[in-house]
Amino acid sequence: MADLQRPAEGRRDEAGRLGAGADPTVWEVFRQEKDGDPMRHAGNVRAPDRELAMHYAREFYSRRQESVRLWVVPRTEISDLSDPDLLQPPFDRSFKKPGGYVMRDKLEVAKRRAKTAARTVAKKETTK
Amino acid sequence: MTAEARLPTRQLIQPDVPVFDRRALPPTARDALAGLLLAMADDEFVAGFWDSEWTGIAPMLEEDVAFSSLAQDEIGHARIWYEMLAQLAGESADRLAFHRPPEQFRHARLLDHPRTDWAFSIARRWLYDTSDAARLTALAGGSFKPLADIVAKVRREERYHLMHLDAWLHRLAGTAGEPRQLLEKAFALLAPDALTVFTPLPGEGLLVEAGILAAPMAELADRWRSEVGGTLKSLGLPTLLEGEPPADGREHGQPSESFRWLWNEFTSVARLEEGVQW
Repeated sequence: MADLQRPAEGRRDEAGRLGAGADPTVWEVFRQEKDGDPMRHAGNVRAPDRELAMHYAREFYSRRQESVRLWVVPRTEISDLSDPDLLQPPFDRSFKKPGGYVMRDKLEVAKRRAKTAARTVAKKETTK
Repeated sequence: MTAEARLPTRQLIQPDVPVFDRRALPPTARDALAGLLLAMADDEFVAGFWDSEWTGIAPMLEEDVAFSSLAQDEIGHARIWYEMLAQLAGESADRLAFHRPPEQFRHARLLDHPRTDWAFSIARRWLYDTSDAARLTALAGGSFKPLADIVAKVRREERYHLMHLDAWLHRLAGTAGEPRQLLEKAFALLAPDALTVFTPLPGEGLLVEAGILAAPMAELADRWRSEVGGTLKSLGLPTLLEGEPPADGREHGQPSESFRWLWNEFTSVARLEEGVQW
């Protein structure tokens, strides 16, 4: 099996595919646990051709009957997108979330500030 | 179920193994069926143990897992046949598998050869699995329902075995140099024993008459030959499968050195302490 932590080794071709930069003997395997479930990444196998890749996927990810469907994809065909400028922009973009701005953190800060302010006022009055 | 059919082996039976009343069969057919089940069980058992010898040393990690899994499947099938035989013979499957002297085994001589090299193991397993498929085809839809039903399940699992062995056979045959040479050498070594899976069984005529087996072994051998002959020819491999199945293809009066070694291996734990419960 190939390294699962760094699936995007090597360079990309123009279409963003891992292409020539990826190990051509690695096949990524997706499995469906039961009918209606989404296909989930299961892991990968190393195989010299598509036929054996299918056989090994079957052995590694369903020999104990844990899948009803497998997808076997050559790693070289996967389009990789991991550019932080595209995926992790530097500003707060939480307003793009379906719930709008995330107010929780800001509210917490405001509450804490209000409490401290009230205590300071109270202290001043008792010392008078 | 009758009291007679309730045997001590019951507790060992896996849910897949059909439980049946042996009196549903005429006594003569019982003996013949016992012979057939013993041949099938020993074939699967010995094939499974030879191939499990690749665990840890197969050509690559993925194949190591795959080939070991295939070997386990065969031992699982052996268990089904031993359990059925145990019900017929009033024996226990464990005793049949692990407490028989090597002389009493009835596996085909094809399975007597040691593991040897990878090409040899592939060639032998391909010959065996295709033969076994011909035998299972002849048992599917037979008149003895418990057997016909379980055969249908076993055939579904064997489909993948055939696919995998076929992939490797084509791979080795199509790779010039050492792989092709070793494969040719393997077929030359195995050719004299290629038909032994179809060794005629005592009383097989009764099984054919009873509608349990579709045709006598010699006829199954012919069917198999015309099927695999085509594949071998297309790969430019010598077919070398002339003649009739030998009458003594399952005799081990003087067990081969390789089988004695394997027998010692697979009985080693069972022989540690007589009668112990695991």
